[in-house]
Amino acid sequence: MRGARRVAVVVASAALVALACGKKDTSDRIVVRFWQFWDLAVIEPQVAAFEAQHPGVDVEVEQLTWATGLEKIQAALASGTQPDLCELGSTWLPRFSYDGVLEDITTVYEAERDSFLMWESALWNGRAYGLPWVQGSRVLFINRDLFRRAGLDPDRPPQTWDELLTASQKIGELGTGIYGFGQNIGERYVLYKKFMAFAWGNGGDVFDETGTVVLNSPAVLEALEFYLKLAPYSLQEKQEILDQYFKTGRLGMQVSGAWNLKNYKLEAPDLDYGVALVPKPAADHGSHASFAGAEMLVVFKASRRKEIAIEFARFLQAYPQAKQLSLAAGSVFPAARAAMNDPTFMSDPRVRVFVEQSLTSRTTPAHPGWIEMEEAIDRAVEESLYGRRAPRWCLDDAAKEVQQIAARFQKK
Amino acid sequence: MASRRFVPSPVAWFLLPWAAVYAAFFVFPFVFSFVLAFLDYNPLNVANTRLVGFDNFARLFKDPAFHGALRNTLVFVIGTVPVTTALALALASLMRGKIPLKGAFKAALFLPSILSVVVIALLFKLFYAPGGALNELLARFGIEGHGWLTDPRTALPAIMAMDVWAAIGYYAIVLDAARTSIPDSLYEAAELEGAGAWATFRHVTFPLLKPAIAFVLVINTIRSFQVFIEVLVMTQGGPLGSTNTLVMYLYDTAFRRLDYGYASVIAYAVFLLSGIFSIVAMRRLRPESAVEGARPL
Repeated sequence: MRGARRVAVVVASAALVALACGKKDTSDRIVVRFWQFWDLAVIEPQVAAFEAQHPGVDVEVEQLTWATGLEKIQAALASGTQPDLCELGSTWLPRFSYDGVLEDITTVYEAERDSFLMWESALWNGRAYGLPWVQGSRVLFINRDLFRRAGLDPDRPPQTWDELLTASQKIGELGTGIYGFGQNIGERYVLYKKFMAFAWGNGGDVFDETGTVVLNSPAVLEALEFYLKLAPYSLQEKQEILDQYFKTGRLGMQVSGAWNLKNYKLEAPDLDYGVALVPKPAADHGSHASFAGAEMLVVFKASRRKEIAIEFARFLQAYPQAKQLSLAAGSVFPAARAAMNDPTFMSDPRVRVFVEQSLTSRTTPAHPGWIEMEEAIDRAVEESLYGRRAPRWCLDDAAKEVQQIAARFQKK
Repeated sequence: MASRRFVPSPVAWFLLPWAAVYAAFFVFPFVFSFVLAFLDYNPLNVANTRLVGFDNFARLFKDPAFHGALRNTLVFVIGTVPVTTALALALASLMRGKIPLKGAFKAALFLPSILSVVVIALLFKLFYAPGGALNELLARFGIEGHGWLTDPRTALPAIMAMDVWAAIGYYAIVLDAARTSIPDSLYEAAELEGAGAWATFRHVTFPLLKPAIAFVLVINTIRSFQVFIEVLVMTQGGPLGSTNTLVMYLYDTAFRRLDYGYASVIAYAVFLLSGIFSIVAMRRLRPESAVEGARPL
């Protein structure tokens, strides 16, 4: 009796183990594993199209989430179960290039260089490690109703810092609960994107061409001082609150991304808003700079399907596919320059602004320590906004910190 | 006897799945992270793993971000655990009396415990937002609104208040369950002696609840040292690091900076701290015998 029971348990466990290990037989097919962040409904038609062109190739797509994707990729790399092809955000990529886990695709870069934007994050030590797929810039959103109420011309959004300040002030003085401009505070990933637009526009940067840290240069300090001038007329909050205020007509202007085009249509169909390039310092000085981020496609060095993975990456990146993805997603644009001449994008006045903005937008420095550096910039801007210390000292400290981070990555 | 073959009891087979999961997800990471603490380990570049001895430990002492996180965590633990315990004890004592709809009251108290922390944190993020329920409420009394989570002075207290609210019901139910095991005869005796409500609590309820209170303190201390999800959802450690807690910092160190060795050291620091606090709490509340405890001093 006892023995029989034991046998039953063993058989049951063995069955479970067999079940867990069971896999379909794929020996005669080439399987390409692809990890990405889009809804499967958006990406699957493209996968099907590629498979149709390549009999014998199976693409296994997996969807990652922005909240946990990076950890999952790290864990997979540590255990050797990484995919062949993977989507990475442009601010993450340099760390992967630096650590040497990506396949060098400089030859593809050389062939494609002029047809695509957004290569910066893929370049490290003169070699290329990623392909720009889709991209998105931040632009200035304006509430046209509030512009009219404040006696401003909604068809002439602010072009310069002075005009931005005047408009913020006029809208900010409309009454309590209405703010001229939105400034991000108290959360990650967003603050530096908004502030650096002003610094870049004024000719400032994190590093100069020689790699020296210039975050505390007069150009950046001037930008920060201007940013602080906006503060009295600004709502300082997290992005979701800024969006909420903008949607409900209580925020005059904010710098934000293309996902709003889709969201406002759904959530605030009556909102009368416009978009414009991020203002530049003065009519005769500086540029309409802004932050641009890109989704990059990378192939891992350890992949055994590199050739077909690169081919698949180039297929996805090609204009027809990237355009289809952009239209389906509604929050990004192709990294391909061909988008500039496509009436699909250029005939919509709002969408057109996004595409035009991407020509003068900047990406963050392609540095493996960027994730830490952006925190230093966030802190400098927040400390100034909270009035903790003079902007000059905040920037000096941030520059010192960026310098230390850079030194740490050089040492290894 | 010595020649008898070892035959595992069938019970062992049923323990096996648990033991396997425990070994894989507790023992292994525990040992592995101890090893990591002495290494410079980056999951993107495992080949370049180096032995760095006690370097990671030395960093703890001169890392201002760690000190900030330690301070915030201690404020969180010291500010929430006694408050939660005291309020839970008060609620449990209240439940001895006759309360209309006692069952519904208990169920309502327990409700936050069945919600996921993420859900609670998201709700409170709305609650604290400008234009959120709290500010609307204050506006009725003519008090001006405030960005509770974007002000470095109020962000941590706001999260602590939420934690007390969310935790109190569970511990009140635990203490109430322990209280029901106190024999009525003791309360009757106290009544005969003419003890008032406070004296009854002081000399009957409290001494006999000591083991349960110790349990509540230890569990809550450990949980509070590990405060993380609330912070991740609500503030991500900001503004200006005012809500950066040890586990939040550990998470950033490992998964954002890819510095797994140092992150392991932080993990062991959390482990040691919560261990020390728990041992102190247990020592202080060592159970006494029922008779001794009930004796009026």
